[in-house]
Formats: sequence, C-alpha cells, structure tokens
Amino acid sequence: MELENTLRQDSKCHGGVLAHLERLETQVSKSHKKLEEPQNAQALEARIHELKRLQDKLRAEVKQRQARVKASTANVEPDQTLEISEQEILERKQENMNAILQAYRFTGISGKLTSQGVCVCISTAFEGNLLDSYFVDLVMEKPLWIHHHSVPVFISLEEISAKYLQTNTQHFRFVLCEYLNTYSGRKHQADRLQSDFAAFLVGPLQRNSLCNLLSFTYKVKPEGQSFPFCARLLYKDLTTTLPTDVTVTSQGTETLPRMWEEQRAAHENLFFMKPLHQVFTTFAKKG
Amino acid sequence: MDETLAEFFRRTILKIPMTEMMTILKTWNFLSENQLQTVNFRQRKESIVQDLVLLLINIEYHATLRLNDAAHLDIIYTQFHRHQKIWDVFQMSKRPGDNIDLFDMEEFKSSFKKILQRALKNVTVSFRDAEENSVWIRIAWGTQYKKPNQYKPAYVVYYSQTPYAFTSSSQLKSNLPLLGQALTVASKHHQIVKMDLRSRYLDSLKAIVFKQYNQSFETHNSTTSLQERSFGLDINMDSRIIHENKVEKERVQRVTQEIFGDYPQPRLEFAQYKLETKFKSDLNRGILAEREEPLRCLVKFSSPHLLEALKSLAPAGIADAPLSPLLTCIPNKGRNYFKIRDK
Repeated sequence: MELENTLRQDSKCHGGVLAHLERLETQVSKSHKKLEEPQNAQALEARIHELKRLQDKLRAEVKQRQARVKASTANVEPDQTLEISEQEILERKQENMNAILQAYRFTGISGKLTSQGVCVCISTAFEGNLLDSYFVDLVMEKPLWIHHHSVPVFISLEEISAKYLQTNTQHFRFVLCEYLNTYSGRKHQADRLQSDFAAFLVGPLQRNSLCNLLSFTYKVKPEGQSFPFCARLLYKDLTTTLPTDVTVTSQGTETLPRMWEEQRAAHENLFFMKPLHQVFTTFAKKG
Repeated sequence: MDETLAEFFRRTILKIPMTEMMTILKTWNFLSENQLQTVNFRQRKESIVQDLVLLLINIEYHATLRLNDAAHLDIIYTQFHRHQKIWDVFQMSKRPGDNIDLFDMEEFKSSFKKILQRALKNVTVSFRDAEENSVWIRIAWGTQYKKPNQYKPAYVVYYSQTPYAFTSSSQLKSNLPLLGQALTVASKHHQIVKMDLRSRYLDSLKAIVFKQYNQSFETHNSTTSLQERSFGLDINMDSRIIHENKVEKERVQRVTQEIFGDYPQPRLEFAQYKLETKFKSDLNRGILAEREEPLRCLVKFSSPHLLEALKSLAPAGIADAPLSPLLTCIPNKGRNYFKIRDK
C-alpha cells in the first residue's frame, strides 16, 4: 500500500520513464534499509520482553480499576440509586396535596367534596387569631339544600339561605362568612375582657348570645382609688366588630368634676375606635 | 321567719338526695363555708335538714332572707333534676323586617316580671342565669285572692336571641296564654306557637330544635376516614360460618347509617300518631272496610330511648329498611306528635 501511494504521488512529478524507474529504485532501497535495522535476534527478543512487560502492567492496572469500581458501588444505598419507584412518587404527591388541603382552612373558607355535595368550612379569625370553625353541609340537588350545619341558632342562617342560597351561592357563602366572622370577633373581644382584664371590672360583664350588647362597670386602675364608669356598647350592625353606639356614664347622678368628665368623653371615643380588649390594654399601660 | 317560708325551705332541702346535698348547697352559695361547717352532715337526713333550717332561721336576723333565696334553691334543685319534669317547646316569630335583636337580659327579666305581676297580683317570679346566655325562670302561680302556690311552680328556659322557649308542663293550663304573652313581649317577638314536641330530656329537645344533634362533618383535617368503616360485620368471625344474606345485611346497615347517621340520637320517650284516615283493607269485606268516615285511632310508640330503638329495628331484622318516613322525620321536623289525615 505504501509503495502504491508513493508511486501515485511521484507520477505527478515531471520526468520520463527512466526518471520514474530511478525513483522506484531509491524507494525500494529505503524500505530495505528500514527492514534491515532490527535484524539481530537479541534486539528482537529484548523488544518482545519489553512489550510483554507493558502488557502485564496494563492488565494489572485494568484489574485494579475494576476492583475499585466494584468496591465503591457496594457501599452505596439502594435509595440513592436513581430508581425511585413510581409508587413512592405518587405517595409523596398525595401527602403534599393533603397537607395543602388541610392548610386551606387558614384562608377562612374551605370545603371538601362529599358523596352528596360539599361540606363548606368557615374558619373565623380576628386580628390574626384563628377562632372557631363552622360547617355547612350542602347537598347538590336542584334546589340546593342544607343537610346539617354547626352554625349557632342565633345566627339567622335560615334568613340568609332563603335570600341567597338558590340564586347566588357565592354571595350566600360571603354573607354567612361575614356574619360568622364578626360574631366570632365580638365574642373574642368579650371573652378577652372577662379573662384578661377581670381586675378592671366591677361586677359581672352582661352580654347576650350574639355579643351585640355589652354592659359593664369598670375602673381605669384595678386597685386603688379610681372612679367607676358604666359602659354600654351596642353593635347594631352585625357585620362589624366595633360598636355602633357607646354610652359611658358615671354611677352616681351628680355631675362629674371636669377632669372625670373629660376622661368619660375620652373613654367613649376609645370604645368606638378600638376593639374592647385593646381599650383595656391602653388603660393598663397608662396606669 | 315566716312559718310558710321555713316550711318551704324544709321541704325543698328534704327533696335533695344526700349524695348531692353539698354540691347543691355550694352552688346555691347562700350559706358560707363556715356556716355549713357548723352542721353535722353525718346524721340522719331529717336531722340534717332540721339543722339547716334552724341555721337559716338564725341567719334571718342578720340578713334579709327572702322567698327569692328559697326559690333560687328550688331552681338549682330542678336544674340538677330536670328530667323529672316533662318539657314542652314553644316557637316564637318576629315580624318580617323587624329590627336587629339587641337583647338586654336585665330588660327582659324586668319586662317579663312586670307583665305577669300586672295581670296576676299574686305571682312569684325568680330568675337564674345559666350557660350559653340562657335564663331559667321559676313562676309560682297565685290568683287575685290566693297566695302563690310554691309547690307547683312552672319553669321556663330561654336562650337569648333564639326563637325557642322550653317550659315544664304545668298543671295550671289556664295560665299558659299569659306565660306566652309575657315571653313574646319581653323577648321582643311577635307571635308564639306551641310545637308538637315534648320530652323529659331538655337537652335533647334543645339539640333537636337548635339542630345540634348531627355534628359530624367531613373535613380534610379529620383523622378518621369516613369511608373506611366495616358495616358492623365481624371480620374475625370463624370462616366456617357463612352469612346467607350478607348482601342484604350490608344494604340494611348502609341505609340505616344514611338515615340515622353516626351521631348519638337525641333522647325522646315516645312518638304519638293520631290517625284520622279511612280504613284500608286487602279483603274487601268486614264492617270496618265499608265505613265512609275516617277511622280514628291513636298509635303511640314508647321507649326509654325512642330514636336509638328505631335505629336498631332494621339491623335487628324486626322491620324493613328504610323505615317509614313518619318515624325517621322526628328530629328533622322537630315533632313527636303527629296528626295524619287522608290526603
């Protein structure tokens, strides 16, 4: 092959046949010289030895590397292999979904499908405090109807559902949510007043089921000389958590000295503006 | 102390069972710890009662012991023994468009008392606040000429801002309209109607009309799955036993569960059906079949716990499932008295 290639290359050069023959001659003598070099047997033998040694060395290296790979794969856990089963993936997805569905109640309104319809859960809150949850189990038929519920009897569920349930279910949920949240908020304020600020109260806190009328006597400072005031808070708007009417009076009938009169008026204002327990927190800080 | 008042105290305290004596006296909170300690509670009951009455007579010199305090004790006793009375349920209604109910308990009490006192010169009205913004009212009826009879009082339990009132069935039925009027006006309602619902178990009546008897709801937060429930069939049964009608049994369990739910049933003792229907017979003979007028008869179901008994009828094989809606509608319709006529 080599000879043929060189021949083809040379044929590109100039010159006649004799010149061509001359060239061929020189090529043959060159290749003869190459072949003649390692002619002695000793040199050949040495070369063979060398090649054998190299072969052994390479074989040993290959064996070592194979052993190392086997050892490293034996220490690895099966889980860390890339083959996680499909079932495990699905199980993790389901756990995730369940957790998200459970966390949904923090949005205030959530639901779960039932065999007949949906069970709506209204989780009430006030000022970042999660309060009671109320349920309404709806049956998806024409007409829509309520199977059972945990809404208190004094919240006019019948009225709200008569107005909105059939025509605008979303608005029904919204209105109910509003009523329940504000009721929960008012109840929370009254409960906090009774539990955290009992020392400020003179006598019991008078309240009703809807917590929309509160009547109590209080002192600005729990101990010591402090003028008792009578407060009467009315919440005429059931969609608010702040009172619509506030009356603060003194217990006696005689006219108050000016300092107390100013305080009385200031207190009236406070009850209008702030939630009940926060008003008393203000009293506690001042005293 | 007035002799009749002392006697009233004696008889009221005598009613109290010894096991409840201390609890009730402490709830009453009229006698202090020190005063109670002066009485030897290890005697016979009659002697204890005598000592207590003597103690009260002595107290009268230092504080004004009034009929009202005795009435309070009577209310507390009745609260502990509410199932000794039979309770009726009344439903009130407002005019449509009425203002929001700003219920003031003190206003209610004074208004109620005034209405009764204006109509009857002699009447004793006492109040005791109870849980969930409710009030127990005790009324001892008298007439224009007779003093109130303290031994046959009527009781009313009212939860504020609700349309329902529970009254103990009083023997003196003539005073019922007046009682109704006082309740309606004082609670700012317009009309009052007696419901066809009656029972000894006040808490069950409350659960029925307030619709609180079914409080199990499906949520994502519940730990028990509602679907994973065996329908009462024992899995660990011997495999050599075969239920011939297993499918039917499962169907009955399922239907019963759908109708009655998983919750404990409210407690009623009876259901009464007044039938005024024409007699229907398969055989076209007999005197009864030829009558044109409806046949009047009364069917009464009695049980220590009627609804639980009805629930167990189909699973026990005594009745077909589903049961007649006349029986299963009782808590939902809030009635256990029915009048059935031909349509």
